[in-house]
Amino acid sequence: MTIALPKGKLLIDSIQMLSRIGIECSHVNEESRKLFYDLPDSNIKIIICRATDIPTFVEYGAADLGVVGKDTLLEDNKDVAELLDLKFGYCRFVVAMPEASVPPKLPNGTYDLSGLNHQRVATKFPRVAETFFSELGMQVHPIKLHGNIELAPCVGLAEMIVDIVSTGKTLRENHLVEVAPILEATSRLIANRVAYRMKYERIRVLVDLFRKELQIDETAK
Amino acid sequence: MLRTNLGQRIPEGMRDLLPEEVAVQERLEQDILALFRKWSYQKVLTPTLEFCACVQPDIEQDNLLYKFFDREGRILALRPELTMPIARLVSTRMRGADLPLRLCYSADVYRNTNVRHREFRQVGVELIGSDQELADAEVIALAVEAIDALGLKNYQFNLGHMGIFSGLMLEAGVDASMQVKLEEALARKDMVGVESWVRQSGLPDHVQELLLRFPHFHGGEEILDEVLLWSERPAIREAVESLRRIYRYLDDFGVQANVSLDLGILRGFSYYTGAVFEGYVPGMGFPVVEGGRYDTLYADFGVPQPATGFAIHLGNLLEKFPLPPVEGAEILVYGSNDKQVIHQCQVLRAQGKRVEMVFGTINGEGAQKIALQKNIPEVLFVE
Repeated sequence: MTIALPKGKLLIDSIQMLSRIGIECSHVNEESRKLFYDLPDSNIKIIICRATDIPTFVEYGAADLGVVGKDTLLEDNKDVAELLDLKFGYCRFVVAMPEASVPPKLPNGTYDLSGLNHQRVATKFPRVAETFFSELGMQVHPIKLHGNIELAPCVGLAEMIVDIVSTGKTLRENHLVEVAPILEATSRLIANRVAYRMKYERIRVLVDLFRKELQIDETAK
Repeated sequence: MLRTNLGQRIPEGMRDLLPEEVAVQERLEQDILALFRKWSYQKVLTPTLEFCACVQPDIEQDNLLYKFFDREGRILALRPELTMPIARLVSTRMRGADLPLRLCYSADVYRNTNVRHREFRQVGVELIGSDQELADAEVIALAVEAIDALGLKNYQFNLGHMGIFSGLMLEAGVDASMQVKLEEALARKDMVGVESWVRQSGLPDHVQELLLRFPHFHGGEEILDEVLLWSERPAIREAVESLRRIYRYLDDFGVQANVSLDLGILRGFSYYTGAVFEGYVPGMGFPVVEGGRYDTLYADFGVPQPATGFAIHLGNLLEKFPLPPVEGAEILVYGSNDKQVIHQCQVLRAQGKRVEMVFGTINGEGAQKIALQKNIPEVLFVE
């Protein structure tokens, strides 16, 4: 069984989680630049790749299981089975605009977005942005960027941004204001569709173990 | 005229097949079609282009079609599958045929989605006009035998039933639009979405538990008894017992060992109504066989009747097979008199030999060299 783990912050959480259910993998890290780990004791292989590539590895069956943020899943829309909310890696998608151009508020206290039709939205997540606005019956023009999204409104590339925030600090530093929440995201355990059916027993045991640990965390809160 | 850069490429998802690859595809296709003939399925062929109104799966999947306009401005589409065109064919030109009708096909299908193969060969069968479980079992057994005939190892089939889920929805009093959403989430295997939906649904606790348990009903006949412990509703019981009879028939066909029951197999936005099944092959990240019962589709074509069938995504399976050496010529014929050379070639061909003719005048040494290069065992000089 091959499990794909994402580089970065989620890797540490994922390794911790795997260790907790008895899959000893504390030696797995990205500093060593090793991308492939064999864990003969538990008969598991771990591969490490970019977070945005995890759904691809899993969809094609190159990995049976993967850990990935719901944000990446939503943007990618790959055909994978989403088995479990692992609860770590919490973040929020929001629409944000420069302080100077925030829209007026509605009587219910939310911002009136209706004037934003056909405006430009800078984002790493054009799909999420488009879906959000089209559910409001609106159409926007997404501009796909790969980083430093906050820059776009400052230099006139876009009127607003759709991005992930965890504390909101970056937004404040760039004089941006959250004008609408879109959704919240945490990490997910995903499986290849066929592996999920062919290696069902093995995967189910793992999922149940994860679930138990998550419940312990829940009770501890 | 030198072609432009684009003119020298092919569109994404299309591919060229070289002689060895064609040989693999044709061998697999012939093996499967021979098997279908043994089971009394007659091959039909429908056009590559249909009116969009015939093959449109549903509004949600509309964008998977390659679409064109004809001269009258009507929308045409390349067929994305054969079940709907065959339903059209049976409901029109074959209306009144003796039932049950057993048809099979082998044809390329086209899907304008972001997958590796957007044109690929599908082989499959349609068994029309029987609502009996034996018909379901026949089709499933044939699918298993077809994959087995290809020589694939460690394949597996999973079999479920749409009726158990809809029975459960009926029992829970879930309205139709909610049911489609849930079914679609289950079909996508979005278990996190299903779980949060169920937890917020306000349904009775035991229904919630059962819904969450649903994708985990996986195994042999014992899971059917387990379902009945949860619910005794007639609609559910009927579907469970139907699935049980199909599964037992599979034992009579001698294929049950390759089939697991799996109630987690559901198709959102699909025409399936009863037993549904999928076939998996190790190393292929998606099902290579998809099939099931679709008793309401024919009503869409004006002639309501039950039907069941399956399709094998043969084109996607090609990479699983080693490329065979291509059967080249058996005899190389050369000489200086064209008329005599042609005559000799034609005589040999009439005898059933594969013959290659050398253009131009060469000597014996040259002919031997060509024969060696092309792996042709015999060389013949014509006076």
